[in-house]
Amino acid sequence: MSFLGQNIRVDLGRRAILHGVDFCAKAGELTAIVGPNGSGKSTLLRALCGEMAFSGRVAINGRDAAALKGWELAGMRAVLPQAATLAFPFTVIEVIRLGLTAGVSAGCASLPLRALEAVGLAGYGGRFYQELSGGEAQRVQLARVLTQVWEPVAHGMPRWLLLDEPVSSLDIGHQLMVMQLMRDYAARGGGVIAVMHDLNLTAMFADAVSMVHRGEIAACGTPAEVLTDATLSHAYRCNLRVNCEPPQGGTWLLPHTATL
Amino acid sequence: MTLAAYDESGVADLPDRTVVARRLTLWLGLLLLATMTGSLATGAASTSLWAAFGDLAQGRALSRVDETILWNIRLPRTLLGALVGAALAVSGAMMQGLFRNPLADPGLVGVSAGAGLGAIAAIVLGAMLPAGLMASVGTYLVPLAAFAGGWVTTLVLYRVSTRGGRTSVATMLLAGIALGALAGAVSGLLVYAADDQQLRDLTFWGLGSLAGATWGKLMAAAPIILLALLGAPFLARGLNALALGEAAAGHLGIPVQRIKNLTVLAVAAATGAAVAVSGGIGFVGIVVPHLLRLASGPDHKTLLPNAALLGASLLLGADMISRTVIAPAELPIGIVTAILGAPVFLWILLRRRMVVDL
Ligand SMILES: Nc1ncnc2c1ncn2[C@@H]1O[C@H](COP(=O)(O)OP(=O)(O)O)[C@@H](O)[C@H]1O
Ligand SMILES: [Mg+2]
Repeated sequence: MSFLGQNIRVDLGRRAILHGVDFCAKAGELTAIVGPNGSGKSTLLRALCGEMAFSGRVAINGRDAAALKGWELAGMRAVLPQAATLAFPFTVIEVIRLGLTAGVSAGCASLPLRALEAVGLAGYGGRFYQELSGGEAQRVQLARVLTQVWEPVAHGMPRWLLLDEPVSSLDIGHQLMVMQLMRDYAARGGGVIAVMHDLNLTAMFADAVSMVHRGEIAACGTPAEVLTDATLSHAYRCNLRVNCEPPQGGTWLLPHTATL
Repeated sequence: MTLAAYDESGVADLPDRTVVARRLTLWLGLLLLATMTGSLATGAASTSLWAAFGDLAQGRALSRVDETILWNIRLPRTLLGALVGAALAVSGAMMQGLFRNPLADPGLVGVSAGAGLGAIAAIVLGAMLPAGLMASVGTYLVPLAAFAGGWVTTLVLYRVSTRGGRTSVATMLLAGIALGALAGAVSGLLVYAADDQQLRDLTFWGLGSLAGATWGKLMAAAPIILLALLGAPFLARGLNALALGEAAAGHLGIPVQRIKNLTVLAVAAATGAAVAVSGGIGFVGIVVPHLLRLASGPDHKTLLPNAALLGASLLLGADMISRTVIAPAELPIGIVTAILGAPVFLWILLRRRMVVDL
């Protein structure tokens, strides 16, 4: 089972943002989309989730996404936007309950609290969303998204998390926690597609990586295949060397050494 | 969702707002019964509701005067007041949900002015229609025209102020001012074309008043308003999801476009019908939803019905004030709601949490 994008082309105004991208994510895996700022990662994700007009084809679990109704899609995949806004003073638990609006888990009242716990925010249910810090708000949105597709597999079909920079405003501890959560979701049979900026976390947790560069897929494969000196240096326009200690010592820190 | 679930998570001090809101519905229902009774009992004439009840209970017929005052003057006014208040408050709440902003109010952003233009056009130009047609559409012409005016205004407003699923409040308010001014100007032009009788109708109507309430007006407005009020709860889930933005609501499986279209229709219908029978009564649509959000949260499932109940009570209360402060004369009710509502509106602006998305 897979999440497939074929020949995806997106034009905004007169500019082509994506020039016929092919993308594939497998269920049971964490697939990372990496690439420099403005390369088209968010655009690709938004095309995959049907939020944006595109030409090409998207298929989820073998079914053409264009032929699926909104509520059917909502039962198969949940989407975390890069920046989330919220009107009105909803409390945290009320925001997460919005995730129950759709999907197979609809009506299961204890899910929001479990999701809240899963993102490390147990006890925050009664707080006002607008009074949270950026990282807390991001995790609340993640909890809402998790609630929508809580079971990684439903009716024998994998379900999908599409996450745009889910760890970008989190501290390293919570980054590891959320990455682990995504990995667990994949391990239990679901599919996870995440836009990532942190290449160390990508190397550590992703099963597959697609590198987007100037609206095209520059490389895709396992982290070891994609995160190479040549590919990274070319895409990010600076000299990068993988698995290389800083020549002049100093302090450096990798998430790999942390244990939760 | 039960309170016990909260206990587990360690936030037992915060009561579930859904429960608070449901309890509030009960109290607001009682409040509405009380204000309706009060409204029936108050008036310029000395007729006493209680004496009439007493008479009826003892099987005595009411005097002609009492019957006319209670049945033909006060009752339609009370019912119309409740309907109009509910319509204004619910359309305010729906519009705020649609625009994702607590400041969107049909009165404030030109929708009422658009509806007013429709009504004025119907009053002035309706006379030019063939008599046969006039006889068949008759009483419905003004509310329908007001509905059309409100509908077009809301559509234009949404188109102008929403880009890519995000509504800009500044654009919304400014566009509302422009649309309101335009509608006002065209209405002004039409007034020149009016004859004396129409002019008297228009002046009275323009101030916002329930004084002209008749069974005829009530019957013309009631179906439209009731349709909008009964339809509103079906939009609640969608409006809740829309708080996350259009894209996120879509990902939750909400048919966003349909919800938007229906909300615009419902807002225009309720506002249009209310404006057609009572003129421009401001601030109910902004004050009522705001107070309810403070009391029991922004969930539209409970906000919409509660807004209907509180809006109806509030307008009946304001109408009682307008009838009694300078009795036997009457203050236009729009003045009363503005005096009560404008300070609340300013208070909303001053509270930061509410305008975080400005
Ligand atoms: N609404 C828009 N209109 C025009 N161009 C846009 C729009 N949104 C994004 N872009 C452009 O598309 C390119 C890709 O954007 P995006 O996919 O958001 O990048 P990123 O890879 O950082 O997520 C950028 O150059 C951006 O400027
Ligand atoms: Mg992005």
